[in-house]
Amino acid sequence: MRYDPPFHKSSGFVPALVVLAMLLVLPLMIEASYLRHLMILAFVFGIVAASWDLSLGYGGLFNFAHVALFAVGIYTYAILTKTFGLNPWIAVLIAGPVTMALAALVALPVLRLDGIYVILVTIAFSQLVYQVIISQSSVTGGTSGIVTLPPLAIGDYKLTSDGRIGYYYVALGLTVAACAFLHGVIRSRLGRAIMALRDAKYAAIARGVPEGRTRVLTLAASGLFTGLAGGFYASYVRVASPDIFGLGSLTLVLSILLVGGIGTIWGPVCAAFAIILLSEAMADLGPWRDILTALLIIAVMVLYPGGLWGVVQEAREAFATARAGIRAGWRRRQGRPAREALMGATEAMLPTRHGHVAVSDTGGAGPAILCIHGNSACKEAFARQFAAFRGSHRLIAFDLPGHGVSGNADPETAYNVPAYADVAEDVLAALGVDRPVILGWSLGGYVGLELTSRAPARFAGLCITGTSPLNIVPEDFARGYDASSHLVLAGKQYFTAAEERAYAGSATVPLSKDSAFLHANINRTDGRTRYYMITKLGVVDWPRQMRMIREGALPLAILNGADDPFLDHGYIAGLDYGRIWSGAPHDIPGGKHAPFFNAPEAFNRHFSAFMDWANRPASITGTG
Amino acid sequence: MISFDTFLAVASGGLVLGALYALMAAGLAAVWTTLGIFNFAHGAFIALGAYIGWQLADAGGAGLGLTAGVVVATVALFGFGILFHLVLVRPFERRADIVTVSVITTLAGTAIIESAINLIWGPRSKQLARLGTGEIDLGLIRIPMGDLVLVAVVAATLAGLGWFLGRTRTGRAMRAVSQNREAAELMGIDVPRLYALAFGLSAAMAGLAGIFVGGLRFMTPTMGADPLMKALIVVILGGIARFTSPIYAALLVGLVESFSNYFVGLYWTPAVLFAIMIAVLYVKPSGLFGHHQRTL
Amino acid sequence: MTALLELRQLSGGYSPIQIFQNVDLVVQPGETVGFFGPNGHGKTTLMKTISGVLEPWSGDVIFEGRRINREAPRGSRRFRNFNYDAVTRRRMDPKAVARAGLIHVAQGNLLFPEMTVDEVLSIAPMAAAGREKGNRFGLTSIHSLFPRLAERRGHKIRFLSGGERQMVSIAAGLLAVPRLLILDEPTLGLSPKLRLELCQSIRAIKDMGVPLIVIDQDVAFLSALIDRLHLFDHGRIARVLGKAEIPDHDTLMSMLFGAAIT
Repeated sequence: MRYDPPFHKSSGFVPALVVLAMLLVLPLMIEASYLRHLMILAFVFGIVAASWDLSLGYGGLFNFAHVALFAVGIYTYAILTKTFGLNPWIAVLIAGPVTMALAALVALPVLRLDGIYVILVTIAFSQLVYQVIISQSSVTGGTSGIVTLPPLAIGDYKLTSDGRIGYYYVALGLTVAACAFLHGVIRSRLGRAIMALRDAKYAAIARGVPEGRTRVLTLAASGLFTGLAGGFYASYVRVASPDIFGLGSLTLVLSILLVGGIGTIWGPVCAAFAIILLSEAMADLGPWRDILTALLIIAVMVLYPGGLWGVVQEAREAFATARAGIRAGWRRRQGRPAREALMGATEAMLPTRHGHVAVSDTGGAGPAILCIHGNSACKEAFARQFAAFRGSHRLIAFDLPGHGVSGNADPETAYNVPAYADVAEDVLAALGVDRPVILGWSLGGYVGLELTSRAPARFAGLCITGTSPLNIVPEDFARGYDASSHLVLAGKQYFTAAEERAYAGSATVPLSKDSAFLHANINRTDGRTRYYMITKLGVVDWPRQMRMIREGALPLAILNGADDPFLDHGYIAGLDYGRIWSGAPHDIPGGKHAPFFNAPEAFNRHFSAFMDWANRPASITGTG
Repeated sequence: MISFDTFLAVASGGLVLGALYALMAAGLAAVWTTLGIFNFAHGAFIALGAYIGWQLADAGGAGLGLTAGVVVATVALFGFGILFHLVLVRPFERRADIVTVSVITTLAGTAIIESAINLIWGPRSKQLARLGTGEIDLGLIRIPMGDLVLVAVVAATLAGLGWFLGRTRTGRAMRAVSQNREAAELMGIDVPRLYALAFGLSAAMAGLAGIFVGGLRFMTPTMGADPLMKALIVVILGGIARFTSPIYAALLVGLVESFSNYFVGLYWTPAVLFAIMIAVLYVKPSGLFGHHQRTL
Repeated sequence: MTALLELRQLSGGYSPIQIFQNVDLVVQPGETVGFFGPNGHGKTTLMKTISGVLEPWSGDVIFEGRRINREAPRGSRRFRNFNYDAVTRRRMDPKAVARAGLIHVAQGNLLFPEMTVDEVLSIAPMAAAGREKGNRFGLTSIHSLFPRLAERRGHKIRFLSGGERQMVSIAAGLLAVPRLLILDEPTLGLSPKLRLELCQSIRAIKDMGVPLIVIDQDVAFLSALIDRLHLFDHGRIARVLGKAEIPDHDTLMSMLFGAAIT
C-alpha cells in the first residue's frame, strides 16, 4: 500500500484554515440543534479516532484499550464532578492528564510485545478497567453508571443553551487543538521515531531510537486528547455508563478510523462526520445498523484499505492524468507548426505496442540517429542536434508514452524502461531504419541501453548522456548518483509549482528564452510515468546492459556534463568498458544534466567524432 | 476458614469451569496455532451454537431433545466456521498485515453474528436444559449429573482432538502447517483446505461449548463475550506450545476463579484474572507452559 | 519426447529486486542436472520459483508438457491500492507442483520442529496421493537408504542434527514419489563424515532412476553424479558444461569469476 501525504501542492495550512472558517460560521447558518448535536458527537469521536491513529496508524501499535481510555476520561469527569464536586471545566482538563497517565500504564506491559500479543494485552487491560468500574459500584455506580453529571457553563450561561452553540464551539476548539497537537507530535523528533519503529523496527533501534520510551510516549500522547474528549463528552451527554466498553463503541471508532484512512490524522477527523451521520441515519434499523456498520468495515478493508484518503487519492490521480492527457491533445494540435519549425522535421503519430507516440523524422538517406529523451522531457530537447546534423544524417526523435505530445498509456505496462525500449523498436521498425546510432539522455540512456542490449548487432552505436550504467538496482543507484540533489523528484508523482521549477532547472536546463518550452512541457507529463518508472526499475535486466558495456558488444560513448548535479562521475569512470569512444567516459566542461542542450557545440563535436569512430571496423575500435 | 466439604465443593466447581474453559480455549488455540491469527468471533460462535442448540432442543423451538441439539449445533457450526473462514479470513491471506486485518474482520464478523442472533431469536434471554439431570453421590460430595456429563464430554472431545492431531495423517498435516507453512506446502499439503478445516473444528468446539454455557447461564446474543475473554486468558496464560498447554491453564483458571469467587468475591474475580494474565505476559510472553510461539 | 522440465524465459525475485532473469532450461527424462555458482546469485531463488514458493515475474515453468504457472489476474483499477507497486506476476501453487511430482527439498529446511521423524515421514506420501499407486518407496527402503533415520524414528525434529534433518527432508521427498527431485545444497554445513554418507545416499537415489536437479558447491561430488552442469552467475545460466567438460573447483571458479571480470 502506498499513500502520499495529504497535501501535494501546499503545506495544507491554507486548506485547513478554509475548513476551519467554514466550521466557524456553520452554526450561524444552520440553527437546527439536532445537526449541531451530531456535529458535536462527530468532533468528539473524530478526536478519539485521530488520537488512536497516532498509536495505531503511525506507531503500528494495535492498542485495543483506546476506547477504554476514552471511558477513563468519561469516568474521571464523572467522579471528579459528582463525588468531589469539582468545577466541570477543571474536571475536563484533569481528565486529559489522568487518561494520559493510564495510557502510559498500558504501555508498560506491551513494551516487549509484538503483533497479536499487543492486541490481546490491551484488550485484557480494557477488560480489567471495565471489571474494576463494574465492581466498584460505590464510586462508579456499577453497571448503572453515574447520571445527571453537571454540564459545562460559563458563569450562569449554560453551554447547552441557544441550541448547544457553546458546546459546538468548545468541541470545535478541542478538535483544532487535538489536530494541532497530533500534527506537532508527528512532525517532531518523537513522530519520526514512532514511524521509524513502525517501518523498520530493528534498523531504528540500531540507530539509537529507544523503543520502550517511544512506545510509552506514543501511547501517552494518544491518551491526552482522548481523555479530554472523554471528559468533554461526559459533560455533554451528562452520563457515565459502562456501555461505552461494548463492542458498539469499538466498532464505531474503528470504522471512523478505517474509513478515514489509517496514518492520516485528518482522515478520521473528516470520516467522523460521515460515520456519525450514517450511524444516525441508520438509528431506526436496530440490529441491522450493527450489521451494516460491520459490512462497511469489511468493505473498506477489501476495497479501500487506505480509507477515504485512498478514494481522494485515486480521484486526484484520475484528475491529474486527465488534465495531462488533455494538455497533450491540445498541444498536439496547436503547437505542431512551431515544433516542426524548431526541429526542422515533420511530426507524425505512430502506433506502437504501448499506444500512439509522436515522432519527429528529418528523413533523408544519411545514417540514422535515434534520440531518446529523459524523464519528464520531450523530443524537442534535441532541437540543437537536429539543427547540427540535419544535412548529414537522418534524425529521429519521439515522445515517450505519457510525455510530450504522445498519448497517455496504461501505467502498469507502458511506463517502464523495457516498455519504452519496445516503443523505440516499434518506431524504428515503422520507419524502416537500419543500424541507427542511439542517443539516450538520462532515462532515455537506460532505454537506449535496454534497447541495444537486446540485440547489439542491430545498432551502429550508443551514446548516453546523464546516465549512470547500473548493475544491481537499487544498490548501484546510490553509487551512480548524488543523492543530495533534486534526484528524489525523479520518482515523485505530483509536483508542486516549486518542485516543477526545481526539477526543470536541474534535470533539464536552467530557464531561459530558448529552454522555456522544456519547462512548459513538464506539466504535460503524466505524473504516473515518474512513479511507475521508479517502482518498476526492478523489471529491467540491468546485468545484461552492464555485460554489453563490459564486453564491448557495440561502440559506446558517454558524454556527460562536467557540472551534472546528479551524476557521480567517479563511479562512472570506474566501470569496465569494452569499447568506449576516447577510451573513457568524457565530461563536457560547463555541461549540466543536458550538455547537448546547454553546451551544444562541444557536445555535437564529440558526438560527431564518436559516430565517425563507431563506423570504423571493430578491430580498430575494439581496443577500448 | 474453609471446611473440607466446602473446599471440595469449590474445587469441583473449579474443575467443571476449567473443563468448560479448556473446550473453549482449545478451539481458540486451534485457529491461532494453525493460521496464526486470533479469531475474535469465537465468542459469537459459542453464542450461535447455544442458540442453534436451543432451537433444536427447547420446547420453544423444535423440541427434539438436547442430544439432537448437540449434534446439530456442532455440525452446523463446523460448516459455519468453514464459511466464516472463506468469507472473512481467506481473502486477506496474501496481505502482509493479515494479523491485524483479521482482528478487524473477525470483530466485524462478531457484530454481524450477534446482530443476526438478535434479529432471529430476539434480545430476550433464554436458557437451555443441562445435559444430565439429578445428582450423583461420590461419597465425599454430591455432584450434579450435568457437571459430570460436561467433564466427560469435554474430556472425550479433547482426547479425540489429541488423537486426531497426533495419529491421523490430516491431523499431523495440520500440525505441520502450523509449524512451517512453506515446508508443508512443498510437501504437497493443501494448506487452504487445512486452514478451513481448523476453522471448522474450532467453530464446532465453540458450538459444543455454547450448549454447555447455555445450560449454565442465561443466553443473550452477546453471551459469547465473557467466554471469549476467559478463553483468551487461558490461551495466553498457558501458551500454545502444544495443544495440551491451554488445557492445563484452563483447569488452573477454573480453580483460581472458583476459589477467588469464594474468598475475594464475584466482582473482583475477573479483575484478578486479568491482572494475573497481564503479569504473566509481562514476565513470559510465551505463556506458562510455552517455549515456542506457534506450534500445535 | 516431451521434456521433463522446461523453463522459458523465467524471471523472478523478491519484490522489488529481481534476482534472476530470462532463464531457459530443459531437463529431459532420466537426466541428472547440476547447478553450481557463487552464493547469492539466485540459484535458490530460481528453485523456489520453480516449486512455486515464489511467484515468477515473467516466463513459464513447464513440467511434463504442462504449464504449471498461470497468468495472475491483472489487478483491476478498483483494487489497485493493494498492488500499486507490484509488477504483474504469474501465480503458482506449490501444493499443485508437489502433487504433480516436482519435489523440492529446500535448502536448510527446518521442517516441523515439534514433530517426530516418523510423523513427518507419515505425511510425506500425501503429495503422491492420486498420482502413484503402489508406492515405490516404502519406509523400509528409506531406512535402508538412511539407516540413521531408523535409529531416530521417535525423536522430534528439533533435536536432530543438521545432517539428520537433511536426511529427513530428502526421505520425505522420496516418499512423495518424485518424478523430478530438486536437492538444494543438500550437503551445506555438514561434517565431512556425514557429508560422505549423504553423498552416497544421493548417488543411490540416482541409481534408483530418480531424475535429479542438484545444487551444490562440491564439484567433485557433482561431476561424479550429474550429466550436465549449469554455471549460475548474476541471475543467469552463464555456461553449460557436459559431463566430460567439468573441470576441478579452482578452474571452475576462475571460469565464473574470470568471465565476470574481463
